[in-house]
Amino acid sequence: MNESQLGPRGRTASAADDADRAVLALVTAGQLDALQELYDRYRTMAYSIALRITADAALAEDVVQDAYFGVWRNAGRYVEGRGSVKTWLLSIVHHRAVDAVRRRRPTSELPDREDVPPPALTLPDLWEDVAAGLDRDQIARAMAALSDVQREAIELAYWGGLTQLEIAERTGTPLGTVKSRVRLGLLALRRALVGDDGAPDGAAGEGPP
Amino acid sequence: MTEPRMTHDQALELAALYVLGALEAEEADAVREHLASCPLSHAEFDALGGVVPALIEAELDGLEMIEPPASLGDRIMASAAADLEANPRGAAGRSGAPTAPTRSSPPIPFPSAEERTARAERTRTGRLDWALRIAAVIAIVGSGAYGLIVGGQLERARAFDAAVAAVVQAGSQPNAKTVVLATQKDQHGAGIGAVTADGSVVLALRDLAATSGQQSYTAWVIVGSAAPVNVGDFSVDSSGVRGFTTKPADTPAGAIIAVTLEPNAGNTAPAGPIVVAGQAAAPPPANG
Repeated sequence: MNESQLGPRGRTASAADDADRAVLALVTAGQLDALQELYDRYRTMAYSIALRITADAALAEDVVQDAYFGVWRNAGRYVEGRGSVKTWLLSIVHHRAVDAVRRRRPTSELPDREDVPPPALTLPDLWEDVAAGLDRDQIARAMAALSDVQREAIELAYWGGLTQLEIAERTGTPLGTVKSRVRLGLLALRRALVGDDGAPDGAAGEGPP
Repeated sequence: MTEPRMTHDQALELAALYVLGALEAEEADAVREHLASCPLSHAEFDALGGVVPALIEAELDGLEMIEPPASLGDRIMASAAADLEANPRGAAGRSGAPTAPTRSSPPIPFPSAEERTARAERTRTGRLDWALRIAAVIAIVGSGAYGLIVGGQLERARAFDAAVAAVVQAGSQPNAKTVVLATQKDQHGAGIGAVTADGSVVLALRDLAATSGQQSYTAWVIVGSAAPVNVGDFSVDSSGVRGFTTKPADTPAGAIIAVTLEPNAGNTAPAGPIVVAGQAAAPPPANG
């Protein structure tokens, strides 16, 4: 993957993004002051997301602590050019919150979690942020462009933290249908956001300027 | 029933659910394993995964913003500082980081260790300063809350966390004294404490043996060669974790704080073994 240029769509990183990256570099170097700075910038967003997903103030605090500790230990894993520090950090909070809720709510489908590595040591995968530079209105319009069932499937999967089996059960929909709704919904969202559907034909990621 | 290998097509089919984190744990592991080992293109993962940051933005949209409690930041900084004490970071950076930076050098040059130390000394102020000093104490005590979390003992970690937060809070007051409670010979337990303005001691203890029957832990303050003063009795459950605030007492710098395991509560002189003990230390003079 060629990352020597700016993002493939020539998006502009905001001044806030640049400042965040500078702070994160200092976190990587072991500067506690930098971690405090990163905490102060995003603590409210982080806590609010964790609280919404867990609906439990004590658990939400644990999630945010856990997420920031993960950032402290793994700041070097942030990859420039893939997305902003903010979305990286908040996606970690989001994943941790979903993990915490799932652990608290054991289901027959889940394996025994005893052998799973501790949550503080895993981080979500990093993807090139196709929506960087878009404002909230554009994103809200893109969400609104989805069909109701696609939007519901994506919302349950991402915001609700449900697994595909849980979505199928909750909505009374066959599993195969859930799979295709989520996939088609995400493809439609990408199309609405950046004007291509990222078809895996080798030209993916090379959208119009 | 884990499939040892997932075919490329099977993995691609799960891309959307994978990037949303909506796969069952086993399937997600299988996809991750496939991505790490398959040489074919996985552009679909990138294409769909790139939408996820937009979902985060959408999630923030209309979300009620709620400020976390102030103690949360102290806890985070304390755990990071404890980690730094336990695992100092060399200039070579973190080992084991799987993804090397793909762009040019970082925007700010990393200062040397000496520069970092000097800079940290200059910039540490107020509340954070104290949180960090106490965090160093936690590092001495042991692995701290994070070690408990790694052990998968979330409830215990939370209880210890809450106790530590109380100590950090008390220790952040002006002129508060701190104490490291070290394990005594043939005993189990460790902890930290902070002496508040009225001389009571806020304690966070862990790894203590559970009390049974009439048994009780008793906290004592010992000043010089004077007799120990009983400043409070408490029990400990099977978690081994206890947060406890003692009764007010004359607790000057240099006083010994000791915790004994007594056959019963209310003793006026210790009858059982000292489990943990430490000396109250005055804060170093804060300059600048």
